[in-house]
Amino acid sequence: MSENQNTLNCRISRNVLIKAPGLLPMLYTPREIAEDLDVPETTLRDWLNHGAPHSRDESNHIWIDGKQFGAWVDNQRNSRKKSTHQLQTGEGFCMRCNTIVKIQDGEIRPVKGNLSHLKGKCPICGGIVNRGIWNAGSSELPQG
Amino acid sequence: MLDRQNYLKVKLFLKYSREVNGRSSLQISNDFEHLKALLLWAGSQPLGSAHAFNTSLSDFLFQKVVKGLDQAELQNILNTNERFFLWAKAMFPVEFQSIRLSWIMKISVISEGKEVII
Repeated sequence: MSENQNTLNCRISRNVLIKAPGLLPMLYTPREIAEDLDVPETTLRDWLNHGAPHSRDESNHIWIDGKQFGAWVDNQRNSRKKSTHQLQTGEGFCMRCNTIVKIQDGEIRPVKGNLSHLKGKCPICGGIVNRGIWNAGSSELPQG
Repeated sequence: MLDRQNYLKVKLFLKYSREVNGRSSLQISNDFEHLKALLLWAGSQPLGSAHAFNTSLSDFLFQKVVKGLDQAELQNILNTNERFFLWAKAMFPVEFQSIRLSWIMKISVISEGKEVII
């Protein structure tokens, strides 16, 4: 039966991220998988305590499915990736509020070539918000 | 699921290669990658009966693994597998008694008329 305790995010080294997809579809002991991934066995056992997929047999020996473990490592990597937000027209990032805001009273000034500078005010704190924009048109300016 | 005994034999072969034949860490790492193809080919069947498998190793490599490999790399994989079987026959004579030396020597020969997809 499989055991999944704390499902917290673990720090996975780059070396493991590269090697984990090469694990074979078979049951490994913790020592074997630690050797194949070139990590200390204690680190691997720590990952098992943090929710890495594994099972125990009647003798309470731990077995790890290589493919399931590879998928778990991949999942850990993806869950650590920060979600990105594409700024919409008229939006900017206020450094005071530390959030994306709709720029008020925006002015566009050409800088060089297609690059322009949009400068306006934050609707929350009233501070100045700047944004560099490519191919700026009148649509970049917020309404109202 | 792959046969664990096959995996353990491969690991033993790599240890022997490092300690007795003096192969470097990089060579051992490459050998392990080459022998993974052998483990996938055998699946859950013991390597002692490899001569009776339905498809030959080179055919399996052409079907499953060969994408992105050139002819030289394919030849390296087959050569490593040949070295493994020679070692296994010497180390486990009873288990590998049904595998003939002539069969092992044919492993590294790529059949005529087969094209490698690069």
